[in-house]
Amino acid sequence: MTKILAGGVGKTEVTNTIKQLGIEGLEVTASSDMDAAMKLRVAQADYYLGTCHTGAGASLGVLVGLMGSAVCHTFGRSVPTEEQITALLDEGKKVFGFSMDQIDTIAPLMARAIAARG
Amino acid sequence: MSTTLAAGASLDFSLAQQLTVIALCALTAYIAHMALAVFNDGVRPFLLDFIQGRTTRSATTAVSFGLSAGFIFGLGAPMALSTGVLNPWLLFLPTDILGMLSPKKWLAPILGGAWGAVVVFGLNGANNVAHDLPVDFITAMQQMSTPILFLFTLFPVLAITKQFGRKWGGIAGLLEFALVVMTMKLWPNMFAGALAMAVGVLMLIGLAVAKDLAQRKADKAAGVSEPVLEGDDPMASLFSASAARLRRYLPLFMVLGAGVCVLAQMHIFGGGEATSFLIAKGQYSEAAQVDFYRVFGFIPLIATTALASGAYGIAGFTLVYPIGYLMPNPFLAAIVGALVFAAEVLALSYIGKLLGRLPSVRDSSEHLRSAITDTLQLAILFGSLMAANAMGGGLGILVVGGLYLLNEAMGRPIVRMAAAPAAVIVGGILLNLLYWMDLFTPIKG
Repeated sequence: MTKILAGGVGKTEVTNTIKQLGIEGLEVTASSDMDAAMKLRVAQADYYLGTCHTGAGASLGVLVGLMGSAVCHTFGRSVPTEEQITALLDEGKKVFGFSMDQIDTIAPLMARAIAARG
Repeated sequence: MSTTLAAGASLDFSLAQQLTVIALCALTAYIAHMALAVFNDGVRPFLLDFIQGRTTRSATTAVSFGLSAGFIFGLGAPMALSTGVLNPWLLFLPTDILGMLSPKKWLAPILGGAWGAVVVFGLNGANNVAHDLPVDFITAMQQMSTPILFLFTLFPVLAITKQFGRKWGGIAGLLEFALVVMTMKLWPNMFAGALAMAVGVLMLIGLAVAKDLAQRKADKAAGVSEPVLEGDDPMASLFSASAARLRRYLPLFMVLGAGVCVLAQMHIFGGGEATSFLIAKGQYSEAAQVDFYRVFGFIPLIATTALASGAYGIAGFTLVYPIGYLMPNPFLAAIVGALVFAAEVLALSYIGKLLGRLPSVRDSSEHLRSAITDTLQLAILFGSLMAANAMGGGLGILVVGGLYLLNEAMGRPIVRMAAAPAAVIVGGILLNLLYWMDLFTPIKG
């Protein structure tokens, strides 16, 4: 079971979008950034997807400071390809930020790429 | 609703105003250079590595540019051109970048000041040209204020519905509607949504605090020991180091607070997404209300990013915007702005601890921000279509609505919030071209 935490301004939308996909082996919950940082550090969760207007501020918030920027990545307002996401996951990135108005595109992409890793 | 226009629709910046903008941009660029504050909330978390020497100035500049460029050209510029009022995205995002970019300490304020000059002279020129055109889109933009004010009134209802479900949302909706009707009847001179918004926000905060207190009681009864902020050493030590760094520069932050507050006092600047339209129309007390409620949505975000990075916000908690709009003169605004910033910086540590104990309140602020976005998106779209209608009837609606839909279809190269106002500018220019080609007759306003 891979645990994804959704945070930031669009946490509800991200959670619902990923739940609707009905992907086996993925569990997604809405969370606050501080709780998420603690859960990720003690391995109670695997990935964090944050959203806000810039794709970085409220999205990544305290996670960059607490987890280190090495495991964080922001797409800003851009839309990545499946290959880019997979490459980032391979690099060991766990915390992703993207923009509110791209949720319907990026959230499913992220969920599928994460699920593909098993 | 009357369509008569405010006399002060044309904004010509006085010399004092121009100098204030230039000086403030020089200051904000210097502060960004020192990594003491940035306006873009998204850039702030990345400053930690720069402050601690783990990354280079050029890499941080690249992050800053990447996260800000879209908002300068996609939000700041169209908002300023369509309202004639300055906004923080146009002024402070470029100074974030220029300050960080500058290799030398003395060069940062020069670059920032130069940008301030470009903005005031450029916007003045663009405004004067726009007002003299046969189809005047800046005046048409005055249509914005009614939808913005009345739809914004409902933002607490949306936030309550999202966070606490349909039942509470329904109650809040009915209560706010009743209050709007009552205000219109009893106090016709007051802004109709003032009381409704205040009650809505109080209700949201009340519900959130009640939920947190109930949760803590339940946890105590169940014997669950939640990991609190103090217990988490890395977080607590990071936060206190950041707060200490900001306190060391308190005098500089007080000057910054004074500057931003004076800029807001001059009524040539709108702080929030929609406030520019209200300032342009001269509705200062309404603008102050809108930006005051907006503060609740931003305090947790700005406090946590500041504590996690050691860099503050250029406008602080943005509380100096509404205070500035309401100040009677710039001197008082400077004093109050400095005091507000001092209080904010000194209280940061305490606010961080408090927010750590109140997760639902933090949630509320995020729901508030997303509710504000939802209401303003609809209001600005509708207002832009009204402006299009005022400019050129059906043809105007075709152009503006069409460009907005096209932006959506293309994956939103322009931020959704600014897409419609940008379309009004393009539509206005297009209608003027058609007028010169004798293919369009302007509608008499």
